[in-house]
Amino acid sequence: MEGFPQLTTWAQANVEQAVFYLLAVIAIPLAYGVVCDRNIIRSGFLLIGVFSTIAGLFILLSAQFLALAQIMIYGVGITLVVVIALMLTNPKAEKESMPALSIHKGPAIFVACFLFMCVYLALRSAENWPVKTDVAALSAAENLSRIGQSLLTNYSFHFEFASILLLAALIGAVMLAKAEPAVHDLNELSANEDKLKSSERADDVVKV
Amino acid sequence: MLSKSNLQSLLFLAVAVGITLLFLTGQVGGVLSGAGLPAYKADLFAFLAIVSVAVVSLAFGGNKTMIMIGGTVTAFIVLTAFQDSMVRYMTLGAIFFAIGAYGMVASRNAVRMLMSIELMINAANINFVTFSRAVDPEHLGGQLFAIFVLTVAAAEAAVGLAIVLAIYRNMATVDMEKFNLLKW
Repeated sequence: MEGFPQLTTWAQANVEQAVFYLLAVIAIPLAYGVVCDRNIIRSGFLLIGVFSTIAGLFILLSAQFLALAQIMIYGVGITLVVVIALMLTNPKAEKESMPALSIHKGPAIFVACFLFMCVYLALRSAENWPVKTDVAALSAAENLSRIGQSLLTNYSFHFEFASILLLAALIGAVMLAKAEPAVHDLNELSANEDKLKSSERADDVVKV
Repeated sequence: MLSKSNLQSLLFLAVAVGITLLFLTGQVGGVLSGAGLPAYKADLFAFLAIVSVAVVSLAFGGNKTMIMIGGTVTAFIVLTAFQDSMVRYMTLGAIFFAIGAYGMVASRNAVRMLMSIELMINAANINFVTFSRAVDPEHLGGQLFAIFVLTVAAAEAAVGLAIVLAIYRNMATVDMEKFNLLKW
């Protein structure tokens, strides 16, 4: 029991680390929920929680603009698109017919653990990061103006190219998702129309 | 009432939290230096202990999701407690990346696969912003790169979900196991 006062004094001394661990302990189960939850609509909504905790991490890293952009683009935009796609693809029928994860679980777990251990051991053994701990982080207004100036000066080519990419993706998505009947559907459609016409004519003949 | 698998996973959680507390109070390092092993690798030994306990309790039929969540959280705390702040953030990014890779390989629903890809993109973004804070705090190159990643991710989500909708219209399913159009 005497550990708790120590923990509170530690948390008061290192607020950033305490908040970081709090966010991490929230985010990891949410990420597992996204991957493993049997109800896929619920995992779509858990994705909002993951993105919000990541926005909290960005605020801890003093990237305020990016945190708000994260909430706007990921937490609302992309998650909304995902949930709408889920509703359009009828997940209720899928849920009954299959478990959340496939039979390739063992290789998947192996690949995930291998990836994590590679990245972690590389991070741990690397010394001499060129870290500038003495430089204080920019304030929020300074951060925003620096990002805006960089986007319109040094990174202006990339900025324009991103707008072209978004336009192309928009047109491509509309083209792919447009409900265009396939060729054989068209043939069936015309055949059905012919049948209908002939049956109407037969009805007319009967009436006459 | 507690079922047997829930009891098993609660037992695992208790053991994992116990190992974490022992590690945080420095007991594991003391034991290692007593046995003549390098004490600065105490976190790796505690991590291996947690992983082996998790494997044993999975073999005895514990609740899989609870064991995986508890094992990941305690292993994360053990692996990062005495590291730099930068390494902490990047380890969290690596964990998200691994979870996303697992979901991408193992999930059967195509939309869930796209969600896992978004998770992996976010893990990369965490690393970019961490580097921006630690290495390049004046020019914010990492944050700018993260903004471009955000743009590309939005485009990717739109096109990917449109492809999923087109597949669903043609085949009336989004089950990854049934997409074998390229097989002959």
